[in-house]
Amino acid sequence: MAKRSYASVHLFPVRHHSPRTSFVLERMLERVKPALVLVEGPEDATPLIGALVDPETVPPVAILGYRADGKPGSALWPFAAYSPEYVALRWAVRNGVEARFIDISTGQSLATERPRPKKHAPDEHRGLEGDAPPEELASDATPFVADDSMFDRIAEIAGFRSFEEFWEASFEAPDYDESSFRAALVGYAELVRHEGADVDYHRARDAFMAKRIDEAIAAGTPPDRIVAVLGAAHAAALAISDVDDKLVKTLKRTVKTATTIVPFSFPRLSEQTGYGAGNRAPQFYQRAWDAGLSFRRAALEVLIDFSEHLRVRGFASSLADTIEAYRLACMLADLRQKSEPGLDEVREATVATMCRGDATHVDAFLWPTVIGRNVGKVASRIGKNSLQEEFWREVEHRRLPRTDAPEEFVLKLNDPVQIKTSIFLHRLRVADVPYASFLGTGTIMGRGRDFAEEPGGYSALSRVKEAWHAQWTPATDVSLVERIVHGETLGEVCERLLAASLRDATTTAAAASVLLEAVVADAPATAASALTACDRLASADDDLPSLAGACRSLSGLVSYGNSRHTLSFGVSAIEPLCVKTFERALLVVVDACRGNDEAVEPVKPALRILHEVAMGQPLCDRGAWLAAARRLAHDFEVHPATAGMAAALLYLAQEIDEEEVAVVVEQRLSDTLEPERAASFLAGFLEVNALVLVRSRPVVAALDAFLLAIEKDRFRDALPVLRRAFASLGATERRYLVEQIVRLRRLADHAQEAARVLNEQDAERLRAMNEDVARAMEELDDLL
Amino acid sequence: MPEIRLPAERKYERELRALIDSDKGPRPPGWSMTPRAVETYVMGAKEAIDGVDITPKYIGDRALVQVAIATLASDRALLLTGEPGTAKSWLSEHLAAAISGTSGLIVQGTAGTSEEQIKYGWNYALLLAEGPTQKALVPSPILRAMREGKVARLEEVTRTSSEVQDSLISILSEKQIAIPELGEIVSAERGFSIIATANTRDRGVNEMSAALKRRFNFVQIPVVDDLEQEIEIVRKREAELRSDYEVGVAPPDELARVLVTMFQELRKGLTKDGKTKVKPPQGVLSTAEAISVLFQSGILAQSFGSGSVTAGDLARALSGALAKEGEEDAKSVREYLETVAKTRPGAWKELYGATKAAIRS
Repeated sequence: MAKRSYASVHLFPVRHHSPRTSFVLERMLERVKPALVLVEGPEDATPLIGALVDPETVPPVAILGYRADGKPGSALWPFAAYSPEYVALRWAVRNGVEARFIDISTGQSLATERPRPKKHAPDEHRGLEGDAPPEELASDATPFVADDSMFDRIAEIAGFRSFEEFWEASFEAPDYDESSFRAALVGYAELVRHEGADVDYHRARDAFMAKRIDEAIAAGTPPDRIVAVLGAAHAAALAISDVDDKLVKTLKRTVKTATTIVPFSFPRLSEQTGYGAGNRAPQFYQRAWDAGLSFRRAALEVLIDFSEHLRVRGFASSLADTIEAYRLACMLADLRQKSEPGLDEVREATVATMCRGDATHVDAFLWPTVIGRNVGKVASRIGKNSLQEEFWREVEHRRLPRTDAPEEFVLKLNDPVQIKTSIFLHRLRVADVPYASFLGTGTIMGRGRDFAEEPGGYSALSRVKEAWHAQWTPATDVSLVERIVHGETLGEVCERLLAASLRDATTTAAAASVLLEAVVADAPATAASALTACDRLASADDDLPSLAGACRSLSGLVSYGNSRHTLSFGVSAIEPLCVKTFERALLVVVDACRGNDEAVEPVKPALRILHEVAMGQPLCDRGAWLAAARRLAHDFEVHPATAGMAAALLYLAQEIDEEEVAVVVEQRLSDTLEPERAASFLAGFLEVNALVLVRSRPVVAALDAFLLAIEKDRFRDALPVLRRAFASLGATERRYLVEQIVRLRRLADHAQEAARVLNEQDAERLRAMNEDVARAMEELDDLL
Repeated sequence: MPEIRLPAERKYERELRALIDSDKGPRPPGWSMTPRAVETYVMGAKEAIDGVDITPKYIGDRALVQVAIATLASDRALLLTGEPGTAKSWLSEHLAAAISGTSGLIVQGTAGTSEEQIKYGWNYALLLAEGPTQKALVPSPILRAMREGKVARLEEVTRTSSEVQDSLISILSEKQIAIPELGEIVSAERGFSIIATANTRDRGVNEMSAALKRRFNFVQIPVVDDLEQEIEIVRKREAELRSDYEVGVAPPDELARVLVTMFQELRKGLTKDGKTKVKPPQGVLSTAEAISVLFQSGILAQSFGSGSVTAGDLARALSGALAKEGEEDAKSVREYLETVAKTRPGAWKELYGATKAAIRS
């Protein structure tokens, strides 16, 4: 193979986010003092280099490339302070040396669809999904993605339990000099670079970067004044000139993209597993880096931190334990022929000493300490887009959490400032920006969490409190950057997105829920058009659940709409619509209840909603609803469950008294020839109101008689429905029911009688025992 | 008459000798070999050392053994905790044998263990005749270990009374035992340490005082949940027992596999394919139990069977082991056989039939 012009370039192989690499690299840069530094990274991001190493910028940060042609797609190139690429760039800028990225552009990279390596599962990038295919986030920090099993195999052959441990022990901890480090890393890379998926893609990138280096030489920089910082596999390929120039043509044509810098965080950095991106404990490596790459020092710091952590949580942890843990870690490293203790030694030593053999604390608390929760900061000269500006301004102003760690708080919605905060969070939710999620209305500790509540919609209207859970992740900024296509402000974005879902709405209920979202997120224009859409759809709608849902939403707006002070149009515009949907719902209600089991399933909640609205909303004709319910309760043609429900609702509203309820129930339950129908009625009834079983003895009597009267083989058929009916009863209700039955069947009298008999027998036995004991005592006396 | 069971340092004398001879590194004071050689002795070596094969003594997590060895080289004592039958005592014996050349300095912890057994006692006849003299003193294994700079073993430390446990604290922190009767204080030679074991099923480790716990580094020996690993352990140990006692015949591989699979599935309450739930028994189906069942089935086959181990022999040995755990456990094994073993081919089916006959109760 012909000797290429870049043969005398200083090729420096790196593993991304490897502090040892950076340490050696920095020494090499000082020695060579190059005139040009070329770094693996998207070439269209070269203009960002100045801002990237600006003193104001605090890593971890990432270069974000996103498609600017309206299609979804973005990728991140993250850097820690000790990433070799970052160190090279910072050195170059500080020394006034030109630096350039030479890898394929973000556009080419985003145009390429690559298979996702197995272990880089999407759920590891929780919160990073957005519109971006997650593999792009992981893989582009990855120079080549071999099958993870190959790395595991290497580790196994070398006698380590994981690839990360192998790497740490072989490359991070030993104090290499420049040439031996390069030789070791290139040798290693040469061994693995032909393995794994999409070798062609990476080889094409080899060729691309080789070409850029050639061009730099042709432009007049002597090759020995150039330092090229490349992923180890690329460097290995270039070093032995195993580059096929033709492959450049196989790269995809570039799509239109834009680049910017966004803050990144340690927790996200640690999620990127695999060879290329791997860094399982960013904070640990940061500590080692800050201590001049002393892993002993990093281990000691982590142990002290952890022991403090244990003490704060009320566990005993003495200084003697810390000292012992440190000694044990060093001794283990020694036993394993490692030059310095690594993470595995720290973990095992901690388990054996501070944790007394119990690994649970270590995994719950030690790992967060070594991962860290730092969030980077981007120099102000990198223009944020208007959405990011708005986001950070609001977060600052409203004192919302700004770290990559979960935080919970409660907003009180009677305070105008907190209402605004709530609107801001709801807007983020509607805009699908991952930042805050709604927990419930209760207190944070309360039952609010068990009880899944919708964040927006009807229930949002009447709230006085909202509990939220917020956590900034890089994905927040990424999606803020991406959402800019929908509008310049969060308000605009919400209007645009809600208008789109309004276009898709085909039922009255769907349109009404868009209306509610528009109110909660304060999107007045969409709210107005949603109102019109509701009106239009309601005229032709004869689906009961849809009408009932819409009716409730509208009624909610009528009652509470003003409390958020966000309604741009008067309540008067909603009132007629609310009445209209209610009346239409009453028109179709009886028909809707004539269906089979499956058909009435959605009708049942609709009945309850209608009842709730009729009872609570003065605009609606309560009498008309009660009449309809009464008709249902007495109608033997409708599905018995709905009839049962209607009867129970009437009873609940005290529209029919106990005697009447007893009559209705007895009537239904007398049908022992078809017990399923009766049981189904019962199920519908109990679903609404189980209290009747507690209070009304006639009903219990009817139930008891009904159960006794069912024929044996019919009983089995009715059993599933009966079970379901009684399953909803609470413990108290069950107890009352049993008490009723006990009283009804006079079981208590029998029990008393039984108890009396038992007592008498016991008395006799006690007397007998007394005699035995007395005898035994006498014998004992004799013995002594 | 040959002894039934040789201590580790005699049984593996050749291996220990070879390791000591070839071991050139610096040794911790009082140790007969380097920590790395101890590790090799316990975990085994792929290649023969000085022409002697080093067999693995403990099959399992290497990291755990390393922590144990590193602990003994520090000034803390080692506490091995775990379920019964997870090879705690086994590991402690081999560690002591490798480090000190003897595994015999041992105190068995029981409810009746007295402070005398931890520190020292007297030969009362001599004491009455001559008063307190060195000759009348009966040193405990721990006192002897201190004098000789060796590793003492304390089995089942959590079974001992709290007075005894308290007396350990000063031994472990001061590394001294005072003998006021002789006006003497015995200070430990370098190399002295203690390996204690504790059973997590018994009165808990939690009942140890915080002060005593602080003197130990804890190493938890896990229950083996890897099938191949446990089969290897069971087969290897069964073969050792067979040659030690010179009785029994070798059971076929298939039966060992069936037995270990069954123990693991019962322990976990779930079949290996994750499809069937089974009721786990109350008693401990430990690896040690599996070894003994397999060994017994070999004896049964040799003495009362056809001369080669069949599913029937295994079933008989199994029912003996289950009997001690009570009726409930026999029931859960029966349930397991009905729901799981019955549907499987080969030896499973035979075992199902044979066990049904054997534990009809």
